[in-house]
Amino acid sequence: MAQAPKEFSIVGKRTPRIDAYERVTGQAHYTGDIQLPGMLYARLLRSNVPHAKIVSIDISKAEKLPGVKAVIHHENAKVPWSSGGHTHQRFIFNNPVRFVGDAVAAVAATDRHIAEDALKLIEIKYEKIPHVLDPNEALKPDAPKISTNGNLSVGKGAFSAPIEESWGDLEKGFKEADQTFEDTYITKHTNNAQLERRVSIAKWDAGKLTVYASTQGVSNARTDIAKDFGLPLSRVRVVSKYMGGGFGNKNQAQDYDYMAAVLAKVTNQPVKLEFTREDDYIGMHGRWPSEQHYKIGVKKDGTITAVQLDAVTNMGAYRKQSGNLSGTDFYNIPNFKKVIKPVHTNTVVSANYRAPAYPQSVFGFASFLDHIAYELGINPLDMFMKNRIQKYKSKLPFTSNYLEQCIIEGSKRIGWNEKWHKPGAAPGVNKHGIGMALGGYPFRPGLGAATIRINADGSAHLLVGVTDIGTGAKSTMAIIAAEALGIPLNQIQVTNGDTDVTPYSVGESGSRTTSFTGPAVIAAAEDVRRQIFALAAPELKAKAEELDLRDGQVFVKSDPSQKIPLERAVARAGELIGRATTNPEFKDVEGKSFSAHFAEVEVDTLTGHVRITRYVAAHDSGNILNRMPAESQIMGGVVQGIGMAFSEELIIDKLTATPINPNYRDAKVPTHLEAPNVEVIFVEHYDPYGPFGGKVVGEPPITAAVATIANAIFNATGKRIKELPITPDKILQARQV
Amino acid sequence: MKSFQNIDVKSVKEAVGLLQKFQQQKKVAAVIGGGSEYLQLMKDHVVEPDYVINLKTIPGLDYIKEERGGFRIGALAKLADIEEHPAVREKLLILSDAAGEAASPQIRNAGTIAGNICQRPFCWYFRSSNFTCLRKGGQVCYTVTGDGRFHAILGGGPSYIVHPSDTAPALVALGAQIKIAGPAGEKTIPLEKFFLLPSVDYKRENVLNPGEIVTEIHVPTPRTGSKGFYHKVRERLAWDHAIVAVATIVESNAGMVRDARVVMGGVAPIPWRAAKAEEFLRGKRMDEASAKQAGAIALEGAKPLKDNVYKVKMAQDLIQRGLLASL
Repeated sequence: MAQAPKEFSIVGKRTPRIDAYERVTGQAHYTGDIQLPGMLYARLLRSNVPHAKIVSIDISKAEKLPGVKAVIHHENAKVPWSSGGHTHQRFIFNNPVRFVGDAVAAVAATDRHIAEDALKLIEIKYEKIPHVLDPNEALKPDAPKISTNGNLSVGKGAFSAPIEESWGDLEKGFKEADQTFEDTYITKHTNNAQLERRVSIAKWDAGKLTVYASTQGVSNARTDIAKDFGLPLSRVRVVSKYMGGGFGNKNQAQDYDYMAAVLAKVTNQPVKLEFTREDDYIGMHGRWPSEQHYKIGVKKDGTITAVQLDAVTNMGAYRKQSGNLSGTDFYNIPNFKKVIKPVHTNTVVSANYRAPAYPQSVFGFASFLDHIAYELGINPLDMFMKNRIQKYKSKLPFTSNYLEQCIIEGSKRIGWNEKWHKPGAAPGVNKHGIGMALGGYPFRPGLGAATIRINADGSAHLLVGVTDIGTGAKSTMAIIAAEALGIPLNQIQVTNGDTDVTPYSVGESGSRTTSFTGPAVIAAAEDVRRQIFALAAPELKAKAEELDLRDGQVFVKSDPSQKIPLERAVARAGELIGRATTNPEFKDVEGKSFSAHFAEVEVDTLTGHVRITRYVAAHDSGNILNRMPAESQIMGGVVQGIGMAFSEELIIDKLTATPINPNYRDAKVPTHLEAPNVEVIFVEHYDPYGPFGGKVVGEPPITAAVATIANAIFNATGKRIKELPITPDKILQARQV
Repeated sequence: MKSFQNIDVKSVKEAVGLLQKFQQQKKVAAVIGGGSEYLQLMKDHVVEPDYVINLKTIPGLDYIKEERGGFRIGALAKLADIEEHPAVREKLLILSDAAGEAASPQIRNAGTIAGNICQRPFCWYFRSSNFTCLRKGGQVCYTVTGDGRFHAILGGGPSYIVHPSDTAPALVALGAQIKIAGPAGEKTIPLEKFFLLPSVDYKRENVLNPGEIVTEIHVPTPRTGSKGFYHKVRERLAWDHAIVAVATIVESNAGMVRDARVVMGGVAPIPWRAAKAEEFLRGKRMDEASAKQAGAIALEGAKPLKDNVYKVKMAQDLIQRGLLASL
């Protein structure tokens, strides 16, 4: 295992979040807690038809309701929302409306109940347009067109379609195979379901717009807003101090930020626009559902020779993100081709949700591999071990790859060799099963920035643009700064998530927070240390490069007894400011965090109920910078996977095209009783490219969870369920076949 | 939520009087106990009352009293209290278990027994403000063309809701009586007769007339030699309604069934008593075969919708499991 270049003082320990006290005592002010003088409250009216032209909209009655201050809609607030759609121009209010849930109007009033009442007074005449809900139907030539370009969602650059990727020689690969298997796996739309509903507060001061957003990226939110409102960046301020989760659907600026800004402008008062839970489920986005058709060629011993994936992903009415499927990423596939068609339908939009392209296709591919192992009479552990990825696209090495150790340590911990049995061979009504799958997520370097101010008393101020979406990012940044500076953690104050104050951050999504901004914090610390040493050198009668700083003391490396307190060095300068913008690149290497998950289940074959009795998650995320939140990340990701595996699904009524379960109760996010004790194993090593050796943690844990559970259910019952969620009715139906 | 006026009352009589008064004024008024259910309906715009009469301020209506031959449970007794009451656990385990299976700990700490029995349906069409379904004064039950995976397989039509209560099947199995106060005074009826099939009235779930309030449940203690069980199948272990629930009570002597009760939840618009299966079991030896047959008899006449065929076998099997548990 690669060793760290030095011993760490705080990195790698179990450190509680630096803002844990404020969060659990209610002193942390989340966006929804902010109250501004004269603030108005807004509510949204959404389309109740799936596809229609708005012929007329009459707001006169709503405007007359006492307390109503403004009503905006597609005619009087024609503001583009560029990041809301990449195939056809999307506005904050659209005409035609393209799904049940498309925003039609917003009302600002003196309280939210009045705003709600006013929505009912808005009269709209729709002229219906034929609609389509099923993505396969949508691809037929005579299907109603949702985008001007057609229903295959063709945008520019990253949003082109179909998404195609290939390497090797597919035909040769299938020729080399002893056997070829084909099958189809289906996944459903699930919502991010983060605790904090979307909320935005906007106000204008002398032509400058401030948005208190619940965003995963203050910088990119500011860029979006400035662009679509035609403002210079200097006239837009986005602030996000505390967040109640996002899981990928709060990145950038969203339509509600814009609506709050327009309402605030029209009324000349601050406006708070908070989603209801139903708004949250249907108005923003969830994970793209998919239909994945695989053709896999294997040798008799299970070695993969070729994989062909043809898939359709349902992006809903607008293309916000890729629609890709990447579950094949964790396997050595010498000959590969995938063609994925992101498709428009008149349904709720699908876009980023934790590891956007992964859990659905890891479910498909790892389920199918598990099944092929069964067909070939191979133990799945051997199948996954044999085919695990070693080189990126069979070519490039990884910065580090401890997937093998994840498989070994995880299988040992769960007792795979003692507990695995032939699928369906467990006796009795309550059948035991064990399953596994591989997962992970790309680890990439990129643009980051940080500023560190050392105050005259030796305390430090770290300024970073990152928002803390629940991962403990604020604490991670402070820990990196404390380690890099050589001062105690409690001497560091973090200011984050405010574009007027903090430097650029790429956005806290895609597991980029630590890997992008972490190196900048280290570099900013080095910058300020150089300044400290230059100031301290004369008094310590040594050269600057001979000095070190630890526990707030500047000392001579060769003789630590020669030292002065940090504050004495800084005092002369009043304060010191270190800053850095870093943009490291990989050369001839690829980065990835890896995981191997293992689950034991008990299936009640009489009721179809599945209980997870044990769960082991082994992760290679490089060096772990803070164990406490890192373990929580793994547990949380697994529990989200459990929801996706067992119960979560946004159901659309076919006749009316209306979602019928857009809430926690009916969309069935898991509770504590569904959450097993997740045993987390970190296969730790020092990655040479990561900040303090760390790779990525946030996105990986959900990737393998769904497939792991599905494979355990197969091992228990001997029946393969190829469509999510694996509900009791599906288990009973499979049993009766 | 539409604005409303809350009125705290001090007695059942006062509540009944107010209900009558508001009815005469053609105002919408409703009573709440724990509020966990009714407030949700208000937030979802399913109901929009002008007045909400708060019964929680009536002193002493949350009792659980053991008397000779049974228990008297006040309408405001909380589900959590019923779940944890030592004598209820000892003598009415099936009720204690059923109360403990309801909703979530938070809701059980607020929700009352009367509220649990009087719950409105949790059909997603009924609960959504986007649908004006048959039960809300519309023309169609959307379940017929739409998604009815959790809906009725027995007693359905023209509405296909299922009764959501966990305690009701257990109480019907126990032969509970329900006391109702109204403008004409008090009356007590068997709980089994409290619920209404949609073929009788598809706009309400029970016989409560305007102005009437549930005040008490009386539960006889089962005879010695009886064993009762409540089994519930659902997708999520908390905060989820039954896909199928089965309350079984078997009184037996030397392996022979003297009397049996089989009542299902989650399968019909009312707690569904399988009287024919009970009749079949009387005098039989309880074993795998008789339990299985009882399950089959109980589901005779089931008419599943296109999406809930699986419920039939699930219910049969669960009945078998419940009956065999008594061995």
